[in-house]
Amino acid sequence: MSSESSKKRKPKVIRSDGAPAEGKRNRSDTEQEGKYYSEEAEVDRRDPGRDYELYKYTCQELQRLMAEIQDLKSRGGKDAAVEIEDRRIQSCVHFMILKKLNRLAHIRLKKGRDQTHEAKQKVDAYHLQLQNLLYEVMHLQKEITKCLEFKSKHEEIDLVSLEEFYKEAPPDISKAEVTMGDPHQQTLARLDWELEQRKRLAEKYRECLSNKEKILKEIEVKKEYLSSLQPRLNSIMQASLPVQEYLFMPFDQAHKQYETARHLPPPLYVLFVQTTAYGQACAHMKSSQPPRQDKTLSVAIEGSVDEAKALFKPPEDSQDDESDSDAEEEQTTKRRRPTLGVQLDDKRKEMLKRHPLSVMLDLKCKDDSVLHLTFYYLMNLNIMTVKAKVTTATELITPISAGDLLSPDSVLSCLYPGDHGKKTPNPANQYQFDKVGILTLRDYVLDLGHPYLWVQKLGGLHFPKEQPQHTVIADHSLSASHMETTMKLLKTRVQSRLALHKQFASLEHGIVPVTSDCQYLFPAKVVSRLVKWVSIAHEDYTELHFTKDIVEAGLAGDTNLYYMALVERGTESDACSSPSSGKGCHSQDVKYRTLLPLCSPCTHLGGIESCDSSQLSWHLIGQGFLLEPPRCCLWCCHPAPALAAKLQAAVVLNPGYSSIPPVFQLCLNWKGEKTNNNDDNIRAMESEVNVCYKELCGPRPSHQLLTNQLQRLCVLLDVYLETESHDDSVEGPKEFPQEKMCLRLFRGPSRMKPFKYNHPQGFFSHR
Amino acid sequence: MEVFQALQRLHMIIFSQNVSPCGKFLAAGNNYGQIAIFSLSAALSSEAKEESKKPMVTFQAHDGPVYSMVSTDRHLLSAGDGEVKAWLWAEILKKGCKELWRRQPPYRTSLEVPEINALLLVPKENSLILAGGDCQLHTMDLETGTFTRALWGHTDYIHCLALRERSPEVLSGGEDGAVRLWDLRTAKEVQTIEVYKHEECSRPHNGRWIGCLATDSDWMVCGGGPALTLWHLRSSTPTTIFPMRAPQKHVTFYQDLILSAGQGRCVNQWQLSGELKAQVPGSSPGLLSLSLNQQPAAPECKVLTAAGNSCRVDVFTNLGYRAFSLSF
Repeated sequence: MSSESSKKRKPKVIRSDGAPAEGKRNRSDTEQEGKYYSEEAEVDRRDPGRDYELYKYTCQELQRLMAEIQDLKSRGGKDAAVEIEDRRIQSCVHFMILKKLNRLAHIRLKKGRDQTHEAKQKVDAYHLQLQNLLYEVMHLQKEITKCLEFKSKHEEIDLVSLEEFYKEAPPDISKAEVTMGDPHQQTLARLDWELEQRKRLAEKYRECLSNKEKILKEIEVKKEYLSSLQPRLNSIMQASLPVQEYLFMPFDQAHKQYETARHLPPPLYVLFVQTTAYGQACAHMKSSQPPRQDKTLSVAIEGSVDEAKALFKPPEDSQDDESDSDAEEEQTTKRRRPTLGVQLDDKRKEMLKRHPLSVMLDLKCKDDSVLHLTFYYLMNLNIMTVKAKVTTATELITPISAGDLLSPDSVLSCLYPGDHGKKTPNPANQYQFDKVGILTLRDYVLDLGHPYLWVQKLGGLHFPKEQPQHTVIADHSLSASHMETTMKLLKTRVQSRLALHKQFASLEHGIVPVTSDCQYLFPAKVVSRLVKWVSIAHEDYTELHFTKDIVEAGLAGDTNLYYMALVERGTESDACSSPSSGKGCHSQDVKYRTLLPLCSPCTHLGGIESCDSSQLSWHLIGQGFLLEPPRCCLWCCHPAPALAAKLQAAVVLNPGYSSIPPVFQLCLNWKGEKTNNNDDNIRAMESEVNVCYKELCGPRPSHQLLTNQLQRLCVLLDVYLETESHDDSVEGPKEFPQEKMCLRLFRGPSRMKPFKYNHPQGFFSHR
Repeated sequence: MEVFQALQRLHMIIFSQNVSPCGKFLAAGNNYGQIAIFSLSAALSSEAKEESKKPMVTFQAHDGPVYSMVSTDRHLLSAGDGEVKAWLWAEILKKGCKELWRRQPPYRTSLEVPEINALLLVPKENSLILAGGDCQLHTMDLETGTFTRALWGHTDYIHCLALRERSPEVLSGGEDGAVRLWDLRTAKEVQTIEVYKHEECSRPHNGRWIGCLATDSDWMVCGGGPALTLWHLRSSTPTTIFPMRAPQKHVTFYQDLILSAGQGRCVNQWQLSGELKAQVPGSSPGLLSLSLNQQPAAPECKVLTAAGNSCRVDVFTNLGYRAFSLSF
């Protein structure tokens, strides 16, 4: 188009040029359009390439014309002005063309720009559309994955296995032909079956519930019936009581005791059960007698049950709290000094508190004497204690020297070796004591009873020595294993104590009771006699000059009982030594004898019938009187027989008598003081009674040991005195004529005397 | 039965003691018929503990007390209740040691078997002389074990024997108060000294008995009921009377001293002139035997041991003081 427009103009500019046809037609076009000239439309028709050619050509033409004008001017001719004018016109035309071209270019540019903009907008719109679509795709994809990931609730349901389902489900649910191939249908069917089954089970559950309710109701009814039965039974029991009593069947009583026993603390309960069991077992063994009547062992519970019940209510831990608060208070007490003493006192009392219930055990011995044992339980210390009391069938005359024999404090001491019952057997107690300032349990033992080890064992309490922890539980087997031995020991202890008690009574009267079955141990005639038997204190014993060896050997502990015996033999003038006088008293019968000797230098005592001179004086000495100057009796002034031999014997009586023998230490006052330190024969005499005690035991259970030893001592003194070598230089007869038959007087390097008595023949020989 | 054991220990009497030929062991016999063997070398060594003062071995040798013991080169001979038993030193320390042999002298039997109070070895004729309850001196040939002769003359039982080294003569002292001198070749009594008849030394309140005897060439020392006296044998006169009140149970010559022991805690040392040189206290209330260990084989164990009325054997490393006690 543009080329056409340029062509049309060309003819205007270039006349020489051209095809006129073309020009004509162009003119007509311009004329047609001339009414409304629109250069924009023209632009569309023209070819930009041609316009560019035209522009180049026009520029060249202009250059040429300029050059020609210049040339003409420089030459300066006349015609030149015409020519120049002509050329000027030509160049103006060219300028017009240039201007036209410039306008066209501008329009084109604008047009191009518009086109570009339009295209750009289109592209933008398309891009937006694309973005939208992409987003939509993404969203859809997400939706799809969501759907794919969806979990159905039915997966959580535990279904029956496939085979079971096909086997059990009815065909209208399983629909095998449909579901076999289609897992979805299959699952649906299985769920259906599950639902069906659950429905059935729910039905069953309901049924069971109703059943249960029914049974509960029945029970209720029966209970009511039973409770209505109780009062009726009670009344029957009440009615039967007189019958029971009448028939010696104290079932009810026993029952009541068992009821009470439930409130006993565990150790006492163990003790109660085990002793009852042992007592019954013993009663059964002697079945010849009616049971229950002749019981050697009876058990009872004492104390208030209500208190025990009240004690049970607060749980065990209250005790712990207390001890904790104790510790706290311990710290604060320093600030509250004035009340300290009172507080400690209260705490001590609390710590040493006994359980309100106690077990009474009565142990009957053959001779109808009874050992009453009361067992207590110290709750906070977790130990058991015992108090003992002995009662006898007949009233005993209590000899002075027998004071401690049956005292509750010492009667059971050392039942087992070393068991003094003064120290707490529970090692944990020491810490508790430290808290409240108790030094040792010893000070409280009189009040609380003795915590012997065997008591703990009977209560089934076992305290390990090494670890002071509360690892103690009441144990039945421990109690049972110690029951029989302990009961036997208790019985032997009481019997031996009672035997001693009786023996002491006669010993104090100067009679050594020798039973007929021990008679063979001694010769028929024993001249030396026991004149004194007193108990002495431990301190006094240790201070005696001739007991040092025993003290050093550790045989004189403070739990032993100590006695002093005095065996005496007067000289020939002693009335007792001559049997021919008829007033003598060597009858060996065990019964009490009244000694009626004559004071031989005078006859004062003949009519008074009181007692032997030496005995009398010794009684008086025992009471603090001394005959000064020494006289033969209270009633005369004859000098006492100066050469009377007095043998002092300090006796240690172990609480374990008679399984542990008494120990004698001797001191002879005759021609100077003789002890085992300066006389070998005194030593031998001690060894005769102490070491060779076994032959003196007599029949089991050897309760005669002590008296036999004393009698033996008398015999030994006789032998000692009679075999003493007579001093030829002293005039007069022998003080102690030899009456014993001896094979030899001395033997061996230490010149032992013949102390051994040979029974049937009656002679003395050396050991 | 601890009490019983304690009592047994308390009433123990050690009658006899003897040192082994090697000088390292000491045998002690007590009144219960037990013999205990102590190791002197262990107890004397520098690292001695309490255990080394206890017997290495204790065995029941006799039924009655062991009154006397002697040692030959290989044997320990012990006697007490009428029998003499021989034990091999080489085997004595083993457990369950049995006696090698036992012999009983021919007693003119009586109700009681007489005890044997003293044993004496006569090395020259390899024989053993036993004396005791039956008032005779029996000689036993150690080679054959037969009793070859009996010497009688004592009127009461014999306490002690002593051998005169040079001439074959034996001294015996007894309860009858006489010291008799016997000639072994002729088997006759040569001399009799009735000690109690001499006024200087007689002590009637103690009795006549002669409890101990020792001899050195022409000198003899004896004691017991009568005072401890030094005698000149050839002239049979008492030369020195030692001022000791308590009866003596053992006496021996040691160098130029006389050691004696008896009632009382002390070992007495006397000059021949009669002066008391020293009194060394021991631990027993009364002593019955002294033993000087002079075996040349063990010079380090050269000690004096004393035993008596206790379960302890006191050991004196020198004569001045008691070093320690061995104990049953």
